[in-house]
Amino acid sequence: MENVSTHENWKVCFSELAPGLVLFARQFVRQLPDAEDIVQEAFIRFWRKEHSIENRGLLYATVRSVALDLLRRDARRARREAKASLEIEQSTSPQFDFDDGSQQELAAAVDRLPVEQREVLVMKIWNDLTFAEIGQALGISQNTAASRYRYALAALKKNFVTHE
Amino acid sequence: MNDFSELEAELKKLRPRGASPELVARVEQSLAEVSGRIATAGVLPKRRNFRVSWLGLGLGLATAAGFLMLARINVDQPGKRQNVVAMTPAPFVAPIQVSDAFMPAGMTQVVYNTRDEGLHFPEGADQPVRRLRSKKRETLQWRNPATGTSLRVSYPSEEVTLIPISGQ
Repeated sequence: MENVSTHENWKVCFSELAPGLVLFARQFVRQLPDAEDIVQEAFIRFWRKEHSIENRGLLYATVRSVALDLLRRDARRARREAKASLEIEQSTSPQFDFDDGSQQELAAAVDRLPVEQREVLVMKIWNDLTFAEIGQALGISQNTAASRYRYALAALKKNFVTHE
Repeated sequence: MNDFSELEAELKKLRPRGASPELVARVEQSLAEVSGRIATAGVLPKRRNFRVSWLGLGLGLATAAGFLMLARINVDQPGKRQNVVAMTPAPFVAPIQVSDAFMPAGMTQVVYNTRDEGLHFPEGADQPVRRLRSKKRETLQWRNPATGTSLRVSYPSEEVTLIPISGQ
């Protein structure tokens, strides 16, 4: 990741980050349009404050903050999203592109994780954040972030093997 | 961690769906709204311009507030100056006006000594006269009705009275 100011075009930077950011946002809101709204607002907010793009912990913290603000602002939406987070909605567009059925089952297993484990997993696996950066984004220690990650993997392994 | 390395590899094979082209367009539009122009990563100057605009706005508001305060002071001052002008000359003008306006309020004569100097025969007179010399103090007083001030002048005086002596 380079600082946004070193790119010739901000689009290059955003294009690199957007899939991971949208995936992270979808851990809070299940619908893709809502997630994109969050990413848009968060990226603009982050960009305006001239933060270095290398400060990924802060970038993801911004996304999380915007997502939580959105949920707080709209109580109905919060209830709907909370319900949706408990039940996997078939109508929701998938978060991943799949090559085969086993990947689809793995993605479904990820969806069944508690949100606090899922958000750590998303930042670690698909965004390559360090535990220190994850801790910064979530406001927790890096040890706690690492613990949640291990719990998530353990749960996935258990569920995935069970479903297999 | 080694227990999960295979699982981690499987997870990494899952590819997050890319952001929609609309999202990129929306972000571009939002950034354009912020900075007025967008595209290249001359993003830093744009962001600085945005900040400067806030700074300029703040300074503008502060300046406007200062002007309002000064305007208020300037509006107030003429009134005060007029009052001062009305009052300041008073001490200079007042004596003239006061002297013009002073009206005689009274006069007193206090005779504190009268001495009979006997009979005298003035030159050319066919009968004698008794000469009385009176010492007295006269006080003249003026008063200005407008201001209530008063002016008093007191001085000693001497009066000689010749009283004809009628023949008996």
